[in-house]
Amino acid sequence: MSAPTSQPRVMQQSVFARQGTRLALPISIVLILLVGALLSDKFLTLQNLTNVLINMSIVGIIVVGMTFVFVTRGLADLSVPATVAVGGLLVLGLQSSLGTLGAAVVGVLAAAIAGAVNGWLVGYAGLNPVITTLASGTIVLGIAQVFVGGVIVYGDDPQAQDFLTGRVFGVVPVIVLIFIAVVAMGHLLLSRTVLGRWSYAVGSNPFATQASAVPVRRVRAIAFLLTGTLAGFSGVLLGVTLQTARPGIGMGYEFDAITAVVVGGVSLLGGSGTVLRAIGGLLFVQLLTNIMVLQGVPTEPQGIVKGVLIAGAVAIDVALRRRGGRE
Amino acid sequence: MTSTRHILDSEVFHALVRNRVVVILVSTLVIGATLVPGFLEFRTASLGLDRMATLGLVAIGLTVVLIAGQLDLSGGAILALSGIATIGLQSQLGQIPAAIVGLAVGVAAGAVNGFLVVVLRINSLVATLASLLFFRALCHLITESRPISGIDPLFGLIVSRPIGGTFTGRTVLFFAMIVLLHLWLTRAVAGRQLFAVGSNPASAEASGIRSRAYLFGAFVFSGTMAGVAGVIQSLSVNTGSPVFGERIVLVAIAAVVIGGTRLEGGRGSALGTLGGLLTIAALTTAMEYQSVPAYLQDIVTGVILLLLILLDRTVSSSQRRDVTLAALWRRAWASRQLKENERTNAP
Repeated sequence: MSAPTSQPRVMQQSVFARQGTRLALPISIVLILLVGALLSDKFLTLQNLTNVLINMSIVGIIVVGMTFVFVTRGLADLSVPATVAVGGLLVLGLQSSLGTLGAAVVGVLAAAIAGAVNGWLVGYAGLNPVITTLASGTIVLGIAQVFVGGVIVYGDDPQAQDFLTGRVFGVVPVIVLIFIAVVAMGHLLLSRTVLGRWSYAVGSNPFATQASAVPVRRVRAIAFLLTGTLAGFSGVLLGVTLQTARPGIGMGYEFDAITAVVVGGVSLLGGSGTVLRAIGGLLFVQLLTNIMVLQGVPTEPQGIVKGVLIAGAVAIDVALRRRGGRE
Repeated sequence: MTSTRHILDSEVFHALVRNRVVVILVSTLVIGATLVPGFLEFRTASLGLDRMATLGLVAIGLTVVLIAGQLDLSGGAILALSGIATIGLQSQLGQIPAAIVGLAVGVAAGAVNGFLVVVLRINSLVATLASLLFFRALCHLITESRPISGIDPLFGLIVSRPIGGTFTGRTVLFFAMIVLLHLWLTRAVAGRQLFAVGSNPASAEASGIRSRAYLFGAFVFSGTMAGVAGVIQSLSVNTGSPVFGERIVLVAIAAVVIGGTRLEGGRGSALGTLGGLLTIAALTTAMEYQSVPAYLQDIVTGVILLLLILLDRTVSSSQRRDVTLAALWRRAWASRQLKENERTNAP
């Protein structure tokens, strides 16, 4: 929007704007912990915080992929509900013939194929990500439903369920460990590897990056492949822990993931943000939800707070950036 | 490979792609007519159009927002909210004032979206996602997640009864709105300027167009249309429900995009949206008459949508040509004249 200036923008930013954007999230998390502790004596118990972590795990795995989509300026992947459902439906549908592990592999692979198709369409064919993932999501979900006949699938492997919800050393549930491992890998991939560097470059200036011989189209395609695969994986975990899956099982996960990424301060315009910040955003939203649940607020009206939160987070981010850019 | 390139470059192919709405609509109708007995009967058409009317009103609002280069995901939630106002306030205010309040809710909700996008400068995808969550939650909060019913089931007949035995009130309203939108987009200065804003807000601003006012107006219009749709839908079933319109925006976006409007902004038309809506209505009717399961219907719609945007991309990334039917005719005429001239001059 503003006219190009001769000085680099970073130099012009005020200290407040720079530190404000960086520290806002950790400070908010600390504040929300304090508020929660004041409002309810059940909040800061090990049991409750573990529950928050378990609730985070399924969405959190998707958030890692969605961060890559945001960073590479791929807007958003709206096919997440479909790929989650593919993972969940396939793992339970194929359980009896392939065993849980084999079915899980097939489920993740199928979701990965859907992600690869998204990646090809958005990265190589250059289609608008929003409408593409909307259409591909409809198709993929339809195919998954054809496969199971459009009904609810039930699982028959309580052992796998026990394994995922079971706890290591009696404290940390296995599913949370899986989540942490995925986050760690995603964070390292984005911050320490060539692919990660390329992702930031593609998101900040695709044309200059193209001119620097970076495979722009491949990088963007990989972001969608990653999101599809991880959403499928989280669908598998969801299916196994619940031992039941219906086609609508993934509904709302795309919005939850986008909320987390946006609250984590990752810009929709690409080129900035980290996996850890996105997970921080998720943690903040989950803690807030948890406090509302403990205060007895019903599920649906919580959307009021979430809506205000998303709009507020982005508005503050935009305002701070503009202020920083001008002074 | 060269033959594919040849086909892709040929004028006929370009013409087919550019007028794809007509092509796909006609082929849908032909397939429907051959597979489904009684498909082309007037009663089938009238029923199909009636069911499409609510969707169509939301799609009209979306067309304007998409031409302005923005996105509005909140239409379904606004629809539900204004429906709840229309039904829930009937006992206190009376039926017609309640419907007016329902409409006002749509306008206000659109203004909220406009405020988020234009004043706070939030990306429209995220902004309307936030307002979608907000409005939907508001619906649940007001109704305590239960559907509410109105005082007089017969009042809704205004919108759902066929006028003079032909089309229902809401169908007529929908067609009137499409015609008005078409005239506004093609004949009015403001309509033309909307395209400029959608193509490039900054350069539109530099040419003296108040881009921000247009963007704000687009969101208010979209909210209003969703409000109208909500009033009509809730009146016709005499119920206000927090779950109304949960999938309507996705289908509406599909219809608008099938109609040739681009998500990047700056291109689109009211008649294209009409074509897209008719296509979806014909497809749905045909498949339902054949008892095709809902998930197979989704696959068909999704594939058509995907193929169309893929085609659109392939063609627009190759060279640009004017291949409207009128231009083709002019060119054919001109080349014939040229040949005749050559013939006379050559010897």
